[in-house]
Amino acid sequence: MSLESPSPKSAPRRKSTSKSATPAPTDTGIRVLIEAIERVLAGDLTARAPVGELAGEAALVAELLNELVRQLSNAEARKAITSKEIDRAIDGLIALVRQGDLARWSKVTEDDQLAPLLEGFGNVIETLRTFVREINEAALRLSSSANQVLTASTQHETSSTEQAAAIHETTATMEELKHASAQIAENAGAVARVAEETLGAARAGRGAIGEFIQAMQQIRTDGVAVADSIAKLSKRVERIGTVVEVIDEIADRSDLLALNAALEGSRAGEAGKGFSIVAAEMRRLAENVLDSTKEIKNLITEIREATAAAAGAADASKVATESGEKLGAVAAQAVEGILAGVQETSDAARVINLATQQQRTATEQVVASMAEIEDVTRQTTQASKQSTGAAVELTQLAGRLAELIRRFKAD
Amino acid sequence: METSPLQRALKAAPDRSSVGQARPEQEFFCFKVGELRLGVPSETVLEVFRAGRLTPLPRTPAFVMGVTGHRGQVLPVLDLLRFLGKGEARVGERTRLCVGASGPYVAAVVADSVLGLRRILTSDILPPPLGGDAAAEHLLGVVQPGTRGEGIALLNFAKLLQTARQRAVMR
Repeated sequence: MSLESPSPKSAPRRKSTSKSATPAPTDTGIRVLIEAIERVLAGDLTARAPVGELAGEAALVAELLNELVRQLSNAEARKAITSKEIDRAIDGLIALVRQGDLARWSKVTEDDQLAPLLEGFGNVIETLRTFVREINEAALRLSSSANQVLTASTQHETSSTEQAAAIHETTATMEELKHASAQIAENAGAVARVAEETLGAARAGRGAIGEFIQAMQQIRTDGVAVADSIAKLSKRVERIGTVVEVIDEIADRSDLLALNAALEGSRAGEAGKGFSIVAAEMRRLAENVLDSTKEIKNLITEIREATAAAAGAADASKVATESGEKLGAVAAQAVEGILAGVQETSDAARVINLATQQQRTATEQVVASMAEIEDVTRQTTQASKQSTGAAVELTQLAGRLAELIRRFKAD
Repeated sequence: METSPLQRALKAAPDRSSVGQARPEQEFFCFKVGELRLGVPSETVLEVFRAGRLTPLPRTPAFVMGVTGHRGQVLPVLDLLRFLGKGEARVGERTRLCVGASGPYVAAVVADSVLGLRRILTSDILPPPLGGDAAAEHLLGVVQPGTRGEGIALLNFAKLLQTARQRAVMR
């Protein structure tokens, strides 16, 4: 453009200057023309023939020549521009091909002929840019997603490993639980056995207490009989006492009679002597009787005391046997309680035994289930490892893709 | 064959012919009252009976315990322990009343128990101790405790009864 404008102006100016400077002859005009042609041929498209200096035909030729040169110059200028734009386009293409730079494409041109071509290319490149942008974005997203997948997969793997460990632990715990419940069952069995034994012993105790109570009743009955006997004995002894009193009275009277007889004998003097002696003997007999009755009385007193003591003892025995019976009843009640308690204990132990056996079965089932779960978890772990590997690969691929696409510059 | 007490007594009795010749002796009616063992000549004692109901007599000395009826006779009853100043007699179930006579005067004395008729050698009778108490004037003598038993104070029963009567009347 810049080349185009000065040339028409300079040409008239140069024509005027050459016309005014050198008014040359015809020969000179031709020479000037030749010179101008030579300069044009030499490449100087600015060269003009000085129309002012010439006249006539030469001026016409010069003008034509100038016109020719001008047109040539214009064509040259256009050509240069075109080639420049073509160069730019080629540069852009080279950059596109070499560096993947899609940004350096210009659709702007002065050449009307080139414009549709550039626009066509531009459209294609625009499409490519869109593609690259989208691919880039997709690659970024893919990379991010792959990372997320990797993270998730890693996490899954970790948690699945943890789960496996937990399941393992749970299985171990369940095994322990199984052992514990087996032990509980055993202990409950032992308790049930002991309770059975205790039950037997308590039953024997109940029997013994029953016998004890019977024996106590027997003793009480016997005691009552003894008390009766003692009462009878006491009455007999009283009777003996009465009889002894009578004997005593008789002996006392005999004593007096014998004494008075002796006195009578004594008063009779020598004749009554023998009588007195007999009377004295009689008196001695009476005194003997009195001594004997005294002894009997003492014995009766002793017997009375003894019977009183025996009666007291019988009463005490009665009270003791009654309290013994009561105690026996209490003991019987206690043993009944023990029996009930032991029965309950036995039942409870049996129930515990059954329950623990069921628990053991359940625990075994749980252990079996846990083993299955462990298997599944192992498979899951395997799968998640594979998945992690795939995710790693995917991440790598995404990275690679991103790297590849990064070669294209869209903006 | 069993011998009866009577036959045994007769067998034990000393031969009548030999009695009295060997050594002189006297028969005493011996009895016990309180702590005293007393003996009175057997001929002064009429009878012994059981103490019945005593009826106290007013205005009599303390040794007169009262009167009692016996075989339709009213007898004064004397307490020798009080009379002799040796304490006080107690009348119980076994208490004996010994009837004594001093001439026409008859009275009964209280005895806890009768020891019986004792024949005491005259040689065994000792004179009453000198400077004795109030009882001494009624004593015939004493028998020392020895082979035949405990010591016995022998009383002059007739004199004693007379004195008692006098004292009772004096009041």
